[in-house]
Amino acid sequence: MLLALQLLCDGVLLGGTYVLIAQSLNLIFGVMGVVNLAHGSFIVLAGLFTVWFAAHAAINPLLAIPIAFVVLFGVGALLQPVLLEPLMGLGAQQAELLSLMLTFGLDYVLIELGLQVFGSSYVSLPYLQSTWSVAGLTISKSLLVGSAFAAALALLLSFWLNHTGFGKTLLAASQSEVGAVSIGINVRLVRLVAFAIGVGLAGAAGVLLILVEPMAAETADDFTILGFVLIALGGLGDYRGVAIASVLLGIAQSAVGFAIGGDAESVLPFVLLILFMALWPQRFRRAA
Amino acid sequence: MSEAATALALEDVVAGYGPVTILHEVSLVLGPGEVVVVLGANGAGKTTLFRAIAGLLAPRSGHIRLYGEAIEGRTAHAVTRAGIGHVPSGRELFPRLTVADHLDLGGRLCLPARRAELKERMFGLFPVLHERRQQRAGTLSGGEQQMVAIARALMTDPRVLLLDEPSTGLAPKIVISVFEILPLLKAQGVSVLLAEQSLTLGLSAADRAYVLDHGRIVLSGSASELANDRRVVDTYLGR
Ligand SMILES: Nc1ncnc2c1ncn2[C@@H]1O[C@H](COP(=O)(O)OP(=O)(O)OP(=O)(O)O)[C@@H](O)[C@H]1O
Ligand SMILES: [Mg+2]
Repeated sequence: MLLALQLLCDGVLLGGTYVLIAQSLNLIFGVMGVVNLAHGSFIVLAGLFTVWFAAHAAINPLLAIPIAFVVLFGVGALLQPVLLEPLMGLGAQQAELLSLMLTFGLDYVLIELGLQVFGSSYVSLPYLQSTWSVAGLTISKSLLVGSAFAAALALLLSFWLNHTGFGKTLLAASQSEVGAVSIGINVRLVRLVAFAIGVGLAGAAGVLLILVEPMAAETADDFTILGFVLIALGGLGDYRGVAIASVLLGIAQSAVGFAIGGDAESVLPFVLLILFMALWPQRFRRAA
Repeated sequence: MSEAATALALEDVVAGYGPVTILHEVSLVLGPGEVVVVLGANGAGKTTLFRAIAGLLAPRSGHIRLYGEAIEGRTAHAVTRAGIGHVPSGRELFPRLTVADHLDLGGRLCLPARRAELKERMFGLFPVLHERRQQRAGTLSGGEQQMVAIARALMTDPRVLLLDEPSTGLAPKIVISVFEILPLLKAQGVSVLLAEQSLTLGLSAADRAYVLDHGRIVLSGSASELANDRRVVDTYLGR
């Protein structure tokens, strides 16, 4: 019983760290109809930067969150109009295919950039290495902090989307572009902001993830695929579904990791991705 | 009709998709407070025409004037701001947003006082939307969805409303109740350009009509004239 609770607790916390990966990807997907294959590389660049930052600046690594967010927001705001926006006028299918190819290429460029700047080795951040014992459960402090911050940022995103004027225009544009245009919403601007915020939040996610697991430039695509699995599982453009999916995947991984082992745990998202693609290909279509 | 007395005027508008030309030198006028219907069979180019007016499709040539001001080639959001409300074909609601969200989004460029006033007016026009205001648009009936689409467009406080086939997919009784608001809009000084496939429906709702066939205006006249004109039916039947 205690073991089950422990696994559940680890799983929920792990899932919490996933929420931000998935929601930031979902935001970009919802508004642009583009699965950003470079998402993981933004995450990893932010994670590697955080290690460098913590080593050189000797201050709390959580301070890297706003820095990573602002810098990557800027990067996203510069890249979107140049690379992605020109594809948006080509019709949904063309845009989808070309933007997949484009973000795939961008992914490689960014990973190479990460290798050049930060090297190829796995790095981790020794921060809050101790644990808490609560009612017989062992809780890793870094996992708790990473999970709580990621969940808080995801909630903030959700609040912004649902309760602010600009957030609502973003939801509107993602649910019907023609409907949004018909009431004078500038969908170009909406797409730019959505991409920039999505990439900025990927940066924030990277800072939090390096607190809980080691990273290398090459692990970028693991995060992309993880995010992709979560939005397929939870529903494209469905923020609540994706939050639930994140927690469920975390729990499943923690259970599989215990029952079979760490390798099975890390391979689980890939297996799920293949299963979903095979069984429910329509889950990868944009929600109507 | 003199310039000042014209709400919307199209002069020789040519538009299409890629290399294909759909609209061939379309000219029409809409007077203030008038309801004018563009009649045309499936694929005649009604939606293309409305998209060109609304700024979703840049015309290749020709002019579109709103109260004398040229608006052709402007972006869709600039056209909305200039005073053209667009109820797109197929309604294009935001299925996961509530009725109230649709109204607020439509009215988001108005001053808060004006927005509240317009909202009251919408609930007056469509009392059922007041009951349903916290309901998601995707869960409404077809007729209610059409009302939301119209109310959302009216919340932009337009001088001209483009209403693209509001009858699609609705039961005749519901269509009649939707069309009943047209005279009320007229009373508020909003001019309406309506697209419709059904002759009887279109002519019953409008003051004047244009018949569009393969992207050309082939006939025009008052609704009562055209209702008795055999050529209208012949155009539809492709004779
Ligand atoms: N996006 C597009 N790309 C290319 N051709 C198009 C596009 N949209 C419409 N067409 C073509 O333009 C022509 C006119 O279509 P349009 O939708 O304007 O007709 P409509 O009068 O609105 O018809 P309906 O009554 O069915 O709504 C049709 O031949 C159609 O195939
Ligand atoms: Mg049409």
